[in-house]
Amino acid sequence: MTTVSHASRASRALRLAFHGGGLSYRALFNWTTPPMFIGTLLVGPLFQIFFFVHVGRSLHVADDRFYLLGNAVLATSMPCVYGAIMAVANERRFGTLGAVLLSPRSRGLIWGGRVLPYAVNGLAVMTFMMLVGALVLGLTLPPSTLLGLAQVFVVAAMSCALFGLALGALAVRIRDVYVISNAAFTLLILFSGANLPPESMPGWMNAIGSFLPLHHAIEALRALFAGASFGEVWSALVLEVAVALGYAALAYGLLRFFEWRSRANAALDVM
Amino acid sequence: MTTDLAIEAENLARSYRTRTGWLRPQRKTIEAVRGVHLAVGRGELFGLLGPNGAGKTTTIKMLNTLLLPTSGTARILGYDVARDALEVRRRIGYVFGGDRGLYERLSALDNLRYFAELYGVEPREQLPRIQELLETVGLSGREKERVEGYSRGMRQKLHIARGLLHRPQVLFLDEPSIGVDPAAARELRRVVADLVAGGTTVLLTTHYMAEADELCDRIAVIASGTLRAEGTPAELKDRVRKLDVLEVEVHDAVGPEHLQRLRDTAGIEQATVETSGTVDVVTVHARPSHGTHAAVLAALADLRTGKVTTREPTLEDAYLSIINGTTTGSA
Repeated sequence: MTTVSHASRASRALRLAFHGGGLSYRALFNWTTPPMFIGTLLVGPLFQIFFFVHVGRSLHVADDRFYLLGNAVLATSMPCVYGAIMAVANERRFGTLGAVLLSPRSRGLIWGGRVLPYAVNGLAVMTFMMLVGALVLGLTLPPSTLLGLAQVFVVAAMSCALFGLALGALAVRIRDVYVISNAAFTLLILFSGANLPPESMPGWMNAIGSFLPLHHAIEALRALFAGASFGEVWSALVLEVAVALGYAALAYGLLRFFEWRSRANAALDVM
Repeated sequence: MTTDLAIEAENLARSYRTRTGWLRPQRKTIEAVRGVHLAVGRGELFGLLGPNGAGKTTTIKMLNTLLLPTSGTARILGYDVARDALEVRRRIGYVFGGDRGLYERLSALDNLRYFAELYGVEPREQLPRIQELLETVGLSGREKERVEGYSRGMRQKLHIARGLLHRPQVLFLDEPSIGVDPAAARELRRVVADLVAGGTTVLLTTHYMAEADELCDRIAVIASGTLRAEGTPAELKDRVRKLDVLEVEVHDAVGPEHLQRLRDTAGIEQATVETSGTVDVVTVHARPSHGTHAAVLAALADLRTGKVTTREPTLEDAYLSIINGTTTGSA
């Protein structure tokens, strides 16, 4: 009886996270139409790869592979950072936040479930960038790297989406949260190490980057393609997982805090 | 937890602090609700009437847990709205008026599926429950259309369906018929009446007096954050039954000076004007006396007056009388 009830509770929790998360993605993500999806999530980041490859070739900073690997991972920030922010901020736009906050169900499942579709979206974007980028630039993807590549992509997408959710939590309190998202996107270009070799970055930039998502994932991916051992790749990935968990905790804490503040201080125009 | 009361509020109050300006911020405290007492029995349909900004929505938001009271207490089915918010949320539904509050890009069906998840409806019950509610509110056949193409009336029906997904025992309806056409408003009233017949407790706020008169078992009138009167619609109407209600058609524009002249006339409690087509209709509440009719016409002597009628007081008369401070207290 208890086992059945535990199983039923677990299945309802999974349903809220996955089914609810999927519905919320369709409801709240602004870029699901084909022109927006292709233009913003695929074409734009692809041109970014070619731009930095060109800069690298012109200034002899690094080779094509360096920019392809870095920017393929960085491309996940479009769906993950902006999308996860929309997952909260658009509730205000539609006037639905109050109806959501009246839910008696777990906030961790409601908000955590919302991150999953964006992570899957980010995964798809990274895969597209890697395949098309490699094809156009004439680079090979050795079969031995594919399993590691998949692991890096999954961790990077989750880490970036949780970072986006932490920023999105601010939308419960701040109306113009997209100003922050634009700054965060630029921050990732600068500090993630996607376009600047870490060894040429000052220590303080590396230090900031190590607390941001994608920094360690890019490091892991480059190590993988440089033929590093499984342990070496995973030591960087573990750091990325730690960053992801940090942002998950921050997002949960901020969402709970702002929800409480909205009740206590009437700080939110919820309806 | 068992109690005969579905909604209880004791000395419920809520204030807001506002701040404007950055360099020299001006801080202001607004007392939105000041010491409201409510006791609504199970299965009752209770109306909360009041002008805009009276504190109706703030009261509802405290009762449905979206806002914490600044002072005082409130309980829903015995559960404290501040301490037992989760228990309260499991048992209540909230429907509000207006165009917003729905996911525009989703169909009505997907909106309901998502909120069924959020409100904890058992997975195997979700689709039958949604179909039943679509049928009840009259949206069957349109459920696969995106909400962005819905009319105000259809949205309002969807709001009601959403509020009922988890079979709440207490339903808060905050101006559900605002902006809805008369046919859709009648449909909404039928749905609400059916809910109450089924045992649901409903707290309704509305600006439509006819709606409140038709539906509500009891009504409270709130103004400036305080309850001014409470009773059945008949009891509230009885408050002004001792007054004559005169309506005078005027074929010129009635100015504030005319209304002031009427209000200054002995025996006249209240005078209001409303434009109806090409004529202004002056409504006068006056203590019965032989000279009222003549006194009213004398006050409007410089205007072209037409038909003068005397009628029974309505709930609207009672409401205006309470809001304007002519009558106060419990019925």
